[in-house]
Amino acid sequence: MASTSCSLLRLQPGSTCSILKIEGMNPILRRRLADLGVSEGVVVRLKGRGPFLGPVTLECNGQLFAIRRKEASRIEVNVS
Amino acid sequence: MSSVALVGNPNTGKTSLFNTLTSSYEYVGNWAGVTVEKKVGSLKNGAGKLIDLPGIYSLHPLSRDEGVAAQYLVEETPEALINIVDASQLERNLLLTLQLLEYGKPTLLGLNMIDVANARGIHVNPEVLEARLGITVLPLVARTGKGSAQVLSVLQHTSAIPAVNFRLDYGELAEEAIASIEQELSEIQGLPNHRWVALQLMEQNPIILELLSKRMDTGRMLAICDSCQSNLQSRKLALTLPQWIRSVRMDYIRSLCREAMDTSSIKPHNLTERLDAVLTHRYLGLPLFIFFMYVMFKATFEWIGAPLSDLLDGFIAGPLSDGAGTLLESIGASGFTHALIVDGIIGGVGGVLVFVPQIFILFLMISFLEDSGYMARVCLLMDSTMERMGLNGKAFIPFIIGFGCNVPAIMAARSIEQPKDRMLTTLLMPLMSCSARLPVYLLFAAVFFPQRQAAAVLSMYVLGVVFALVLCKLFSKHLFKNDSSVFIVELPPYRMPQFKTLGRSTWEKGKGFLRKAGTIILAGSVIIWLMTYAGPGGLDVAMDDSFLAKFGGLIAPLLEPLGFGTWQAGSTLVPGFLAKEVVVSTMNIIYHVPDAPGLENQIAQVFTPLSSISFMAFILLYIPCLATVGVIKKETASWKWTLFSMGYSLVLAYIVSLVIFQVGRLLGWS
Repeated sequence: MASTSCSLLRLQPGSTCSILKIEGMNPILRRRLADLGVSEGVVVRLKGRGPFLGPVTLECNGQLFAIRRKEASRIEVNVS
Repeated sequence: MSSVALVGNPNTGKTSLFNTLTSSYEYVGNWAGVTVEKKVGSLKNGAGKLIDLPGIYSLHPLSRDEGVAAQYLVEETPEALINIVDASQLERNLLLTLQLLEYGKPTLLGLNMIDVANARGIHVNPEVLEARLGITVLPLVARTGKGSAQVLSVLQHTSAIPAVNFRLDYGELAEEAIASIEQELSEIQGLPNHRWVALQLMEQNPIILELLSKRMDTGRMLAICDSCQSNLQSRKLALTLPQWIRSVRMDYIRSLCREAMDTSSIKPHNLTERLDAVLTHRYLGLPLFIFFMYVMFKATFEWIGAPLSDLLDGFIAGPLSDGAGTLLESIGASGFTHALIVDGIIGGVGGVLVFVPQIFILFLMISFLEDSGYMARVCLLMDSTMERMGLNGKAFIPFIIGFGCNVPAIMAARSIEQPKDRMLTTLLMPLMSCSARLPVYLLFAAVFFPQRQAAAVLSMYVLGVVFALVLCKLFSKHLFKNDSSVFIVELPPYRMPQFKTLGRSTWEKGKGFLRKAGTIILAGSVIIWLMTYAGPGGLDVAMDDSFLAKFGGLIAPLLEPLGFGTWQAGSTLVPGFLAKEVVVSTMNIIYHVPDAPGLENQIAQVFTPLSSISFMAFILLYIPCLATVGVIKKETASWKWTLFSMGYSLVLAYIVSLVIFQVGRLLGWS
């Protein structure tokens, strides 16, 4: 099965992917994401995009949270 | 007295449990970061004290409220811990549980929100958790109080809760490092469990590092950590030591969850998903939020609040005032006492109390927002606007709380991760129009804009928010020159607020207002009345010759360019610093009318519609009240910033009122 990697932001809302790597992200945010169980290898789903280029909503292990697009673009994911 | 601490992830129901287990009541809500301070209560069965701590994800704090919790565990010695976990989010919650078990104190695991978990098709088996973790596990529904009786009975004998014997194997390399660090620690007295300290140190927990560096030279231990990290790297096990520790824990948790959890029939959050599709819609979300706010204000001030307020006013001005007058006459009270009670106290305090209905309804609406889960969505909706202004969307939760009262709102800013964002939120908070300023708007809106009361009042709130955003841009650009802000907000599932919780939380907020009416507003009214009664010429002087008139007359010339240069307006501003409600009390006393219609009549003669707008804007902005100044000082720990927050608001208020009045006049308004 061929899998491609791309930035999380390129996904269609509603699609699921697994995190390949997170690079160059603000360390505070990185820690907070780790607290929420978001790290390499974890499956996340892109739920939607906020108004005026606002934050994106993500779901991981049933927990919903939102981060800014700029930061979400630092998350590289695998789509299978 | 034994003490037991409640510890757990944010928004897992610790405070709800605290409220059912103790006889006290603390603030609850549906977002992460409601509790920002350590709260102490007495257990209902008298078995000791219960300590409610802010929610934490790990013992490694990022924000200030988390620091409070981590600090507590390091510095104090609770006899036992109650770890509350959200059964629908078990994996994430257990990461903290493992660290607490390593802490080594007797621990109870409260498996909360089993109703939510079951509804989502997640079934957790408490026996498996009990067997694998070696601690008592109690299923709970803290919101309804289910299961709290069992917790209480276990807490009856805290000494009977067995000690924890949990030990996770971190692999040969890390275990060697742990053993060497424990060796180094063995000399030091009064530390918590050494293995736990060693592990926290290896995870680079700043609180532990600080604690240890006060007592000893940490150089050798840090060298042990470094060499362990390079060994892990050379064997390609992990990039960093903290990462390794985390991954060992995660592996254990996953295996535990596979055993203890049945997720075969898991369902998505249907209701939450459907609501979010509309409420956080990229185009509809913001207009809907503004619409909700408008309806909220309309209901508070026009549909429900105003009629109730009129009824209350009728009672205070009519039967109460007359009754008191008759009673005083019948007991032969002197003219002084009569005037003090009827004009001073009933006029001053009563003039503020008539606004109790509006204020309570506003608090009810805010409580609904807090408990439903919508607050976190507002952060999401507002983030892009706030980002442009140099702040982040999370600051909007404190801002909305600030519409009730600025004091808890400034406390709520503790949950913001970045110090710069926290400082900005604190400094700008006084611009959020709190409920104490409301009586002023309501009074003037009723006189000058009777047809558009809600719109007039709402525009004051909007004015405050707009200035907060503009100044935010200014301050973040010129006062804080560091990096951009970060934003992350957890979106809890929506839930229908329970009637009981809503009522309780509205009452707790409103209680403060009533208490103020009985203390500072009462005292203020008496003093103001005495100042109108006495003058340089003696007692019972004409109002224009009283001390208050002389005093207000000193300020009046400064206010002339703003359109309200009368001693009457001037003399309300200084007592208004003590509590903004006193502005209206003072007016009631000055104009010598205990009821609203009479006061409205008087005001219509002294103010014009234009000067009334200028006055309302001035009251909105001019200074944070005394209590707010106190909490700004406490939270910023700096007189410089406290004085700055008072200074900028005074300057801003003067400029804004000046512009409103002078431009309005040029445009030919009056």
